[in-house]
Amino acid sequence: MRDILKTGLILLLICVVAAAALGATNEITKDKILEQRFLANETAKKEVLSNATTFEDVTGSSLDEIVTTFEPIQEVYVGLDASGNVLGYVFKSTPTGFSGVIEVVTGVTIDGTITGVRIGNHQETPGLGAKAKDSAFYSQYAGKLSSTPIGISKSEPAGNDIQAITGATISSVAVTGGVNASVDAFNWILEKGGLEN
Amino acid sequence: MKISNLTKGILKENPIFVQLLGMCPTLAVTTSAMNGVGMGLATTAVLVSSNIAISMLRKFIPSQVRIPAFIVIIASFVTVVGMMMEAFVPALFQSLGLFIPLIVVNCVILARAEAFASKNGVVDSALDGIGMGVGFTLALMVLGAVRELIGNGSIFGFGLLGASYKPALIMILPPGGFLALGLLLALYNNFQIKKAR
Repeated sequence: MRDILKTGLILLLICVVAAAALGATNEITKDKILEQRFLANETAKKEVLSNATTFEDVTGSSLDEIVTTFEPIQEVYVGLDASGNVLGYVFKSTPTGFSGVIEVVTGVTIDGTITGVRIGNHQETPGLGAKAKDSAFYSQYAGKLSSTPIGISKSEPAGNDIQAITGATISSVAVTGGVNASVDAFNWILEKGGLEN
Repeated sequence: MKISNLTKGILKENPIFVQLLGMCPTLAVTTSAMNGVGMGLATTAVLVSSNIAISMLRKFIPSQVRIPAFIVIIASFVTVVGMMMEAFVPALFQSLGLFIPLIVVNCVILARAEAFASKNGVVDSALDGIGMGVGFTLALMVLGAVRELIGNGSIFGFGLLGASYKPALIMILPPGGFLALGLLLALYNNFQIKKAR
């Protein structure tokens, strides 16, 4: 009996020390990590819609409507030029890939051209699905038009198709799904004649 | 302190080719030489720290609960390393971050804790960790290089076989991991048997 108690207490002690160490590390790093993610987000917005000088977050009922209608979109930003004209929209979507969600940032200009796609945080397999982060893959989306949905081809992409990553069809489909949802949301915004904030 | 504790992990007791430990992350990430090195170095860092910690605590941890205690210690190290990397060296986290969660399930670390660090002094355990880590990294690099060369025509991203080479994609897909590992094991054993004669 005394043995069991002693053994249990030692294990408890080890767990308490480990938990305390993890908690302390989390306290030290959490603001930094948020800051790093925020910076990465800002850079991604600039990269997918390079003409815009400032970005405005879309909030309130318009965002709620987009998020519920066009899954898996999470965030929408309006890209503005120096004098405040709307140049385009940036959508952040989180489609489900091979292992967990993939952050996809898509930029669409007001005339209906996809100006860029970037991949943020993800947990895809290194060497396969993780290749979505290579420019060879994501640059395929740039220049595609918002009028037709983007398709996926395994061998020879034609028209509005992109070439899937070999051995990572699920990841390719997921990213394309995120881009297509963004395009749908863009078309919906255009039909409505813009967003009022 | 024995120097053989450092060198034995590299060839004689290589964690992959002789002990066949840590197969799951090994097969998953060795799609390129660079991925192999990344995973190897991240594992080495955790292996050395966990070996040192467990060796220091070896008289304190009762043998009945040693496995849960080891796992708590290893998982805490992995999580702390991951959070620190994301907060302070985001560039490194971008390339190595995917491997971090895979290290928790790497049985090389648990096996060295159980077979060596829990029975030996701190310095010897650290040497054992370094040696095993180097052996693990080298083995992953060789495996990754073979798969990348046949499956992609390159090593460390440099094209070697020219544009006319049609890559055998199966080698960078999961079955190729088993094929390459089996062939390399056969070669390694052949070499060891010849040496022993």
